[in-house]
Amino acid sequence: MSNKENEFNHSIDKGFLYGLSQSLTIAIGYAPVAITFGILATQFGLTFWEAGLMSFFVYAGASQFIAIEMIHQGATPLMIGVTTLIVNIRHFLMSLSVVPFFPERSLLWSLGLAQGLTDESFVLNTKVLKDVEGEENRRRVMLGINSGAFVTWVSLTILGGLIGKWLPVQFSGFQFALLALFIILTTMSLSRKNYMTYLIAAVLAVVLKLLIPGKIYLIISVILAAGIGAWWRVRKGSHRVGLNSQKSS
Amino acid sequence: MSFQLLETILLMTIVTYGSRVLPFLLFKGENIKGFARDFIELVPIALLAALVVPELVTPSGTIVIMNNPFLWAGILTFLFSRFVPNLFLGILFGMAVFWGLDKLLL
Repeated sequence: MSNKENEFNHSIDKGFLYGLSQSLTIAIGYAPVAITFGILATQFGLTFWEAGLMSFFVYAGASQFIAIEMIHQGATPLMIGVTTLIVNIRHFLMSLSVVPFFPERSLLWSLGLAQGLTDESFVLNTKVLKDVEGEENRRRVMLGINSGAFVTWVSLTILGGLIGKWLPVQFSGFQFALLALFIILTTMSLSRKNYMTYLIAAVLAVVLKLLIPGKIYLIISVILAAGIGAWWRVRKGSHRVGLNSQKSS
Repeated sequence: MSFQLLETILLMTIVTYGSRVLPFLLFKGENIKGFARDFIELVPIALLAALVVPELVTPSGTIVIMNNPFLWAGILTFLFSRFVPNLFLGILFGMAVFWGLDKLLL
């Protein structure tokens, strides 16, 4: 493992700019989503710079869409905060699996590299960093990837917000836009491994919404459904322990 | 900007950045397994259900099936996006269908 790195440093060409160029694929993917977010945020009552501010600080697509839907439904900041936590806790897993690329990182690098970790940048970084030799270079490449994606997300949110300002507010279709977005995300992520959790959450949410005032039904149904789903998986998995305890997928 | 929105963005930032930065600050690179990992993986799909289905089935506080543009637009959008897996086109389709049904049913 070690002598390859020390022998000859021919990876000078793989630095910040290399990462930045790699981020183009993410930028293309982000563009329509960021513009859509900007448009919807302004349609749901935010100003274009408030939308931009949210993209700048939060920088997590799905939870931003969820937040403007919840703001629209009248949820409290605390409710939105808790919902954001359970949506974005997955970044913890991604972060955990990126960390081994940077054993010698300084505090500043830790703070900086963590900022740009999203679903998309995680996937790209994991793919690209494997082929970059030397931790110094890997840091710069990741910074480049993250920067390109981040700048695209924030600037195109603002652009979308400006577009949204000029669109006719009367069109009733806009009140369905976010639901449509979530439905499309659902069809993209439903699988044989998670559809039971989806159904449990759906039933619980409808029943609890009718029974409990406020938006707390969201969090209760999500935690219960994910908990039951995870418990079920662990239970099923434990039958196989002993046969195949060494290998993890 | 309202104080509520500022508070919302602040809380969202703390929990999101917190999830991203904690492993960088605390770990050399372990892996979470078992219940916690499955739970975290299942949260997004559960949340999609909890966000969408009640809004489709009970748009005005009680369960409505027939005269409900949300429900039918939702079902049609679901079917559409199964065949056309494109975020932008799907949203446009959903908005158009909802608008049409909204005019038709009320």
